[in-house]
Amino acid sequence: MELLLQQIANGLSLGMAYALVALGLTLVFGVLHVVNFAHGEFYMLGALVTVLVVKSLGLPYIVALLIAIVLVSAVAWVMDIVAVSPVARKPGGDQIVLVSTYAAGLIIVETVLAAIGPTPIAVSGFSGIVHFGSVVLTMHRVFMFAAGIVMICGLYMLFTRTNFGRSLRAVAQSDYAAKVVGIDVERIKTLTFVLAGGIAGLAGGLIAPIITFNATMGLHAGIHAFVVVVIGSMGSIPGAVVCGLSLGMIESVLSIFLGQHVAATLIYSLLLVTLFVRPQGLFQGALR
Amino acid sequence: MKFVIPAVFVAALVAAPFLPTYYQGLAIYACILAIFATSANISLGQLGLISFGHAAFFGLGAYAAGLLNFYTGMNYWLAVPLAILPGVALGALVGLASLRLSGAYFAIATLVTSEILRLVALNWVSFTRGPMGVVVHRPREKWLEALTGRDFGDLYLMLCILVLALVLFVVSRVNRSLIGRAWVALRDQPKLAESVGIWPLRYKVIAIAMSGGIAALAGGLFVPRVLVLSPDLFSGTLSATALLAAILGGRGAVMGPVLGGIVFAVAPELLRVVDEYRLAIFALLLLVVVRVRPDGLISLFPRRKTVHVRPPSALVEITPRQLPATLSIEHLSRHFGGLKAVEDVSFEVRRGEILGLIGPNGAGKTTCLSLISAFLSPNSGVVRLGQLTLSTLSSHQAAQQGVVRTFQHTTVCMDLSVYENVLIGTHLLLPETTAAAVLRLPAYQQRECKRQALAWAAICFVGLEERANELAGSLAYGEQRMLSIAVALATRPGFLLLDEPAAGLNHTEALVLARLLTGLREKGFTIAIVDHNLRMMMKLCDRIVVLHHGRMLAEGDPVTVRNTPAVIEAYLGTSDEPEKQGATDA
Repeated sequence: MELLLQQIANGLSLGMAYALVALGLTLVFGVLHVVNFAHGEFYMLGALVTVLVVKSLGLPYIVALLIAIVLVSAVAWVMDIVAVSPVARKPGGDQIVLVSTYAAGLIIVETVLAAIGPTPIAVSGFSGIVHFGSVVLTMHRVFMFAAGIVMICGLYMLFTRTNFGRSLRAVAQSDYAAKVVGIDVERIKTLTFVLAGGIAGLAGGLIAPIITFNATMGLHAGIHAFVVVVIGSMGSIPGAVVCGLSLGMIESVLSIFLGQHVAATLIYSLLLVTLFVRPQGLFQGALR
Repeated sequence: MKFVIPAVFVAALVAAPFLPTYYQGLAIYACILAIFATSANISLGQLGLISFGHAAFFGLGAYAAGLLNFYTGMNYWLAVPLAILPGVALGALVGLASLRLSGAYFAIATLVTSEILRLVALNWVSFTRGPMGVVVHRPREKWLEALTGRDFGDLYLMLCILVLALVLFVVSRVNRSLIGRAWVALRDQPKLAESVGIWPLRYKVIAIAMSGGIAALAGGLFVPRVLVLSPDLFSGTLSATALLAAILGGRGAVMGPVLGGIVFAVAPELLRVVDEYRLAIFALLLLVVVRVRPDGLISLFPRRKTVHVRPPSALVEITPRQLPATLSIEHLSRHFGGLKAVEDVSFEVRRGEILGLIGPNGAGKTTCLSLISAFLSPNSGVVRLGQLTLSTLSSHQAAQQGVVRTFQHTTVCMDLSVYENVLIGTHLLLPETTAAAVLRLPAYQQRECKRQALAWAAICFVGLEERANELAGSLAYGEQRMLSIAVALATRPGFLLLDEPAAGLNHTEALVLARLLTGLREKGFTIAIVDHNLRMMMKLCDRIVVLHHGRMLAEGDPVTVRNTPAVIEAYLGTSDEPEKQGATDA
């Protein structure tokens, strides 16, 4: 029982990373109406920047985290200019974006692999442990969970209280109607893409001390994010958060009984079944 | 031009034994990638479905052939054709799933499928030896080597060239048959496809099963080159290679993926200098191609001109199918949320008549047509054709029963010629199998001739014979409307349902249309028509049904309907003194 509670607590922090990555993916789908197949790579880059800044520049972890968010947002901005916005406007664009973002993702992974190599790199986050009854958590996991909550609340405020958020929700509902009332739709879309990239970068930076960085971590995070987003309904933010946290917990708990690969196979099968039985996901209803 | 490609293959076959070993290896790899990319292109190019997990089929073929050879000692070259079967089976499953999944969902599902298979291969150590892999011995055929005086490498390469040629032969024949036409219709205009009776499930399953089988064949052929079965055969990199090769080469043409496969095999050798960055450079190349030349590298070559069709020697008349005398609509209702689009509507369409459905905007006319043609299912009520209940069928089955509709918005495949569009309409004339389409025996040729004659008759009937070879997209709007009627006519409909055929037509064109429809009635066709051109409708229709807010307002001959006070009120609003001529010009 204690082990179970412990794994659920561990799973919550892992799930927060999934939720954050999935949040960006679902945001991009909800607002841009395209699927970014390179989204997992933003997460990988976030971890990479954090690791490199701490290791080579010797800066404190929290500074590295902020640098990661900024740099990954910049990469997302470039990707939007190169591979998303000009392509998405063409007829049949949503299909071509699949390919162009996939290509962009490959460029990122292969470049990182070629430059850094496939060896994992570890970095330490916040030290210390916290007791919650019988459950023991590292300080870093607690920080990670808290950071995630702050991020989600911040996004909620952003979407509901600001002009940008209102415009974003308008674009999510209808490009055309948003254009009619004078919203700069292209700008909102670009900003959304950059925001999604930044959130994924934060998630990568947060997870780096827990799972150690390696160049292929983006692929797995990407697939996990797809699992979360598909089950939680494409475009639904509550869906992404709830399913992300659940997936993290399920994975942690499963790891008590099953090997990592078997657990992954189960999760992927779950995705296939969901896709087949209920392609619209469990949290139907777009970003509103 | 027609003989260039076969000539290249013969030349390659002759030259193959004289290549140095290094180049032979490269050529083998190029052939295998070309086969693999061709397979990926069936779902990508023909169905428009992007698969990120084609390595699932490739790896399955490789493992099936390798493990058969390893465990049973079966001759490897006998195991390779057998290994096609699991690929076909998995393909059929994916094809079933593709009915519900499109776009990004299909891409994700395929990606996950290949990842699951990779994890299984990695972890089922007792069977696949996991990451260690299974070593397959080089499958030499000493007797053949002795007989031909050629070594293993020569023969292996020749086999790969032959298989590639065979695959291309099969694929191009299927593409140009009824099956290929059904694929294109499902990709470009799924609704049109269903309206002429194309069963999406059948053709998607055929496509992806075929694609899976070909990829499995490529996988089986690949093993003698690497001589070890490892879980990497399911890797995402391999899936990427197939997809990228198909897009890079050009998904529109049969030779596109071949070109892409060759580039993918050869370019890494040229890019040795930048070794680790090879794949990144490829991805960059792909990005450039997607942005600059979406039709791929093949579009740099001159295209073979489309064959010009001539009128078939044996001309046929176009006639309706003989069906039960009435199509009866009984208490039909359909709600969208709180909106009652159609509410308790009952009427009959009698054989040989032109029935008009009119009513103000939002009256439920199109919904009614969609319900009758089974594109929508009713909340209550039934549509009966003789003994048969149409409303429980799916739309392609309704077309099979002879109830065929057209669409309010012009729905034709813009990138196909007029003639090709109408050929799609002949889908139901005679049944066809994949094998028949590949073999093209005289019986098949005869059936194809019948289809062509019917298509030609439909084109002549609407007066488009001068433009038969032009792309549908290049026609004038009025001509496109006529084309969509020709496509429907090619199905030999017993009941033809026309949804606003005169919308956007000028006065002259509308007159031509009216004449055409009268001609159809004389030939025995039954027509139900929705339109706003009341002047035309009053002249043309035998009977008219008026809908308003989803309910039946009136039914009868044009004069009676025109004089019904409720109809005038619906069109012109309330008035103390209803004007009798009001409805005609509304």
